[in-house]
Parts: sequence; structure tokens; C-alpha cells
Amino acid sequence: MKNKLFFLPVVFLFSALVVKAQKGETKLNVSYSAALPTGNFKNLVSENSFRGFSVNILHGVSDNISVGLATGFQDFYQKYPRQLYKLSDGSDLSAVLTYSIQTMPVLAKLKYDFTPNARIQPYAAIGAGANFIAYNRLFGEFGNKQAKIGFAARPEAGLQIPFGKGGAGFSVGASYNIMPFKQDDLKNLNNIGLYAGFNIPMRK
Amino acid sequence: MQRMLVLSLLTVTTLTVLSSCTKDPLGNMTNEESRIYITNRDSTANFNSYKTYSIADSVLIVDNGRVAGRETTSWDVQMINAIQNAMNARGFVRVNHTQTPDLGINVSRIFNTSTNLVNLSDYWNSYGGYYDPYYWGYGGYGYYYPPVYGYYQSTEAAFSVDILDLKNASSAQTIKVIWNGLIRGEGIFSTNNVQSQVQALFDQSPYIKTNQ
Repeated sequence: MKNKLFFLPVVFLFSALVVKAQKGETKLNVSYSAALPTGNFKNLVSENSFRGFSVNILHGVSDNISVGLATGFQDFYQKYPRQLYKLSDGSDLSAVLTYSIQTMPVLAKLKYDFTPNARIQPYAAIGAGANFIAYNRLFGEFGNKQAKIGFAARPEAGLQIPFGKGGAGFSVGASYNIMPFKQDDLKNLNNIGLYAGFNIPMRK
Repeated sequence: MQRMLVLSLLTVTTLTVLSSCTKDPLGNMTNEESRIYITNRDSTANFNSYKTYSIADSVLIVDNGRVAGRETTSWDVQMINAIQNAMNARGFVRVNHTQTPDLGINVSRIFNTSTNLVNLSDYWNSYGGYYDPYYWGYGGYGYYYPPVYGYYQSTEAAFSVDILDLKNASSAQTIKVIWNGLIRGEGIFSTNNVQSQVQALFDQSPYIKTNQ
């Protein structure tokens, strides 16, 4: 009996109480984003980034499926205390090492809403496209800022919570950002992204 | 229309606020953190085979690749004294440059107004033009400098110390640069930093020592 009571709110939330079809609707999503470096990237830049945002514009091609563009910005930063480095030319370099990396992916995105008319709407999405990268590794104050373009892919999952009648709502989600990038000792900029923002209907 | 305006304002505001949150590496760096210390050595040189040294009595000023003169400001004197103390602590004995020292030490302040990348070998490649070999008693000889050194973004100034092999200059028919220490960054010409900067160069060069 207790188990049944526990599931009642869940059933309520996912039931078709807020009827808002997705088909034909275009929505803008603006979110704050944080990112947690993983793998090889984390070996060099272990600081989590709390400086980022993402923007999506998606058009509903059916009640469940919407397609569009996603972009965003994330700033990664890591400063290491002074250490002695052996350079490839045999020099010894004592310096404070700083990594400053900004990623700006522009992705084609496909999103699937599992319960488009529910009060809480879980979704899954996949995006793929280009990644514009600003990379700067500084020894002391001396760096060589570089701009590069790479590939990016982003599987994503989250929840939307509509409010109002126009289709606006909150959204939260998480993604795994796959970003190959070979530079110095880096092989990629892979990271876990966390998002929270607003869905705003543009037109129908 | 009103909704579109609100949306546009919201988007622009959000993007502006978040973009401004980029952590600026230089803005989050102290003067001490901005400085780099680079040392390079001739791996064939055995410092234990030398005993005496002499330091140039003034500091050479190099401005955009040209010699702009010699100076002996209070900073220059402090720097020469700090190098002398470091060399003495490693077992070397300072003598006058006319007393046939085993090693010669040149000290330079280098200024560049360029903001481009600078190949450090540019500095050494012009080395023969910077110091008159006659000063060390080896007139007519050229300098030899290691064929390495990377690229660094130039800033307003650098400080350089060179150790020259005078002991073998006659047999080699050249004055070989067997060690260089280079300091770049903010505040390198502050008198407060003289001792720590010289100490840093020698700390990362433990092979500069003699037991003779």
C-alpha cells in the first residue's frame, strides 16, 4: 500500500494534465551551464567550470520530435603553482602554468520528448557539429592563444517543466560533451555538462 | 512583438553576463606568477673544470636587437653582486677580467617593443655583435651559442645572464656560451626581486658548481 502511495505523485506528474502539443512549435532554450572535465582533459584541467551557457532553437516536427540548432559557451581554467619544466630543446623553464580554454559548439540537434503533454516532460537529445575552440597555455604571462575548429557531439537527457499556457517552462539536463582536441598533452576536451534554464516559445 | 523584444533582451543579457564570466588568465596572475625563468646549458661543459670567473662591470642594454649602451644603475650593481654571491657559493672565485679568468659572465637587459613571437635564438645569433670579445682578452674570436631555444611571446623586457668559456677560448678559437639564464615577466627590474631572481636561476642549475 505504501508503495502505491509513493508512485501516485509520479503518475500524476507524468499524466496528460498540461496539454501542449510540440508539433509545429519553435522554442528557444537559454540555459546556464556548468561543466565537469573528464578523462584526459581532467588530467590537465581538473577544475570544474561554472562559467557557461547554452542556447537551443528547436522546431517540433511531431509531438515527440523536434530538431534545430544548439550552441553555447564554456570557459575552462586551471592554474598550476610554479614548477620546473624540461622543454624539448633541453631548456629548463620555471613557471606558473595556466590553461585557459573556451569551447563554443554549434550543433545540429535532435530531441525526443517522451511525454510531450505531461506536467514533467523527460527528454533525450543528440547533437553533433562543429566546435570552435580558443586555447591558451601560458607559462607565466607568456602564452600563444590559438583558435581551432573541431568536432563536437553531445548526447543529452533532461526534464522540462512547463508553466503557463504558451509552452514556456523550466528545463534541467545533463549531457556528455564529446570534443576531440589534440594540442600539447591534450587529446580531447570531453566533459559532463549540467544545464538549467528556460524554454521560451517563439512562434507557432 | 513585445514578446520578441523581451526574448531578445533576455537572450542578449544572458549571453553578455555569462560571456563576461570568462576567467582572464592575466587578470588572475600576480607579478611573481607572471615571471618565467629559463636556463639552458651546453651539455658538454663540465663546470667542475673551471675555478675563476669575472663579471662584466656593467650591464649591457639591448634595445630591439641593437646595443643601446652600458649602464651601472643601482639595480645593475645589485644584480652583479647577487650573481657574484651565487657563483662564490658554488665554489668559484671572482678575479679581474685581465687575470685570465676561466669563465666570463655577461649581464644584459633586453628590451623589445614588438608583440610578436620572438625566437630566442635571434638573441644568441646576434651575440657576437653585443659583446666585444676584446673585453675578455680574445679579440677577433667569434661567439658560439647553442643551436636551440624556443619561441616566446615578447614582452617589454627581459634580463639575461651568460656564462662564457674563456678557459678554452684559445684552443677552440671561439668564445663558447656554456650557460644562459633568462628572466621575463612583470617586475623583473624591481630592486626587491633581484636576490630571488638570481637565486631562482641558480636553484634550477645545480650543475653550476666547482670543487677545484
